[in-house]
Amino acid sequence: METFWSVRRPVGRIRPGDHAWLGYCGVEEHDHVVGAFVREGLLARDKVIYLCADAHPEIPGVVGRPPASLLTVLETGHDGPGPALAALAAEVAAAERAGFAAIRVTADLTCAARDPEAARDLLDCEAAVERLVRPSTAISAICRADRRRVPPETMARLRAAHAVHAAPDPDFEDAVLQIVRTFDPRGLALSGELDASRHTVLDQALALVLAGGDHGPVHLDLAELRFIDLGALNMLAEVAARRAGRGPLILDRMPSQLHEVITTVGWNMLPGLQVGCAATPDPLPRP
Amino acid sequence: MSLTHRALLYDDRDGFLAATSAFLRQGVEEGRAAVAVVREPNLAALREELASYGDAIEFYDSAEFYRHPVRTLKSYLELVERKAPLPVHAVAEPVWDGHDARQRVEWVRYESLINVVFANCDASSLCPYDRSALPADVVDQVRLTHPLLTDGAEHRDSEAYTDPVSFGAICDRGRRFERPDDAEYLAIESDDLQPLRLFVASRANAHGLTPAAAQNLVTAANEVAANALAHGVPPMGAWVWTAGDDLNCEIGDHGHWRPGPLTGFVPPRSALDTGFGLWTVRLLVDLVEMRGGWGGTFVRLRVRR
Repeated sequence: METFWSVRRPVGRIRPGDHAWLGYCGVEEHDHVVGAFVREGLLARDKVIYLCADAHPEIPGVVGRPPASLLTVLETGHDGPGPALAALAAEVAAAERAGFAAIRVTADLTCAARDPEAARDLLDCEAAVERLVRPSTAISAICRADRRRVPPETMARLRAAHAVHAAPDPDFEDAVLQIVRTFDPRGLALSGELDASRHTVLDQALALVLAGGDHGPVHLDLAELRFIDLGALNMLAEVAARRAGRGPLILDRMPSQLHEVITTVGWNMLPGLQVGCAATPDPLPRP
Repeated sequence: MSLTHRALLYDDRDGFLAATSAFLRQGVEEGRAAVAVVREPNLAALREELASYGDAIEFYDSAEFYRHPVRTLKSYLELVERKAPLPVHAVAEPVWDGHDARQRVEWVRYESLINVVFANCDASSLCPYDRSALPADVVDQVRLTHPLLTDGAEHRDSEAYTDPVSFGAICDRGRRFERPDDAEYLAIESDDLQPLRLFVASRANAHGLTPAAAQNLVTAANEVAANALAHGVPPMGAWVWTAGDDLNCEIGDHGHWRPGPLTGFVPPRSALDTGFGLWTVRLLVDLVEMRGGWGGTFVRLRVRR
């Protein structure tokens, strides 16, 4: 069942029939993506089935105490993935009988994937989940694991077993600009064009990143940014100045033309901003 | 702590070498950062004359250093910053050939701006002018733009020296602002400036500007338009037209902002200072002309392909 192609899909666009993968790199990314999946499900009154190793987890995206009929938590236990798969199948069948039009499943596989023996069973179970979800018009699933805690080869196999890779929803998106959180490294990826009419949304998105962890550098991935106005450079310099002593703002993968503009301005005009990893070739124009 | 800005009016190579090498030797001996920015072939002759000083004197070719008046100001600012805390002691010889009349005005203005941009800087500049070869109008204006003069033998104050604001006003007096009837026009009707950027970018590409020059122009036009939206009065819009190798882009609104002769010429310390936008606009394109009056405020950007 290995797939040689995959599509990266913002969590908000995951649909019934999608069997998606999330290799997260910490609580912040986990809660951001999984929280959106759970929250949207509960708001839409979908059935949400949440699997994890912990009997009493803090479930991201849950506000208040949702009724048990909407949210079911299953403990994956320590007997390998088989029993958990059986429990999941039973919950799904029950939800279908109860008449739910949409069923959201998310399972944390970190523990099982760390154990070499369980990992083999896990791939069989993934095949079973694939057979359950793919033809379904009701079930969507996100399987997830902490990629810092799972051996890379197991991560690669799990990743390859999913045709859809879950990504964060954009913090902001219109026809001109898109802002998406990044977690490794921490920061934002900007694509499109950034001008004065969109400074506020960038400011808000940056504030969220900065609120999440006050120390260390913050990265802006500019590979897909085609235009940045001088006001935005001024704004970034202000943010960097407010953070003085707590890590710089790093501009990664800047397209050559933006680099040229900033070189003309002079980096000395932009204290607290640094060039990060190298630029890529210019992004292709949007169709 | 203040700038010493002196023009050297020389008549021949020997006069040039005697005065500039004495000035640079004095800089080295006083522990200052001695720099020579000089045209060829004088540059090679001066290097040879001062070869015994080795790395103690930095040499640059004026042809490289003096390509764009505002960028040259920026280069000198960076030089001063790089050499700090040593004060810069520079022979600074501008280039006067290859310019049209309009460009020459900007280079003369540049000499005047040195007095304000480096006013609080403990730097010394000796600016050589070849009296025997340069056009008379260039030589005539030296005494307006340099507070101090020398012919190599005798130092004196320039009685005709004119402060940079008044001098800038004189430079601006001769400007002409015709705009051809067939200039293309785009109204700026919302806060979203993407249509303006597309409008300017497509004309810049069609005119054959390099991608970098086109992006710089788009960035400058966007900044001027953002200022108009923030501070101007509608209706506002942008005109684009070509004149030979020049691409012109003018942004106008009906407000009554009257830019002064120094607007955008005085560098901010960083992007956080006021004045960052217009200073940067001047760096991004070849020429910026601003004018205000009863008809509104207009900013004209020019780029040569």
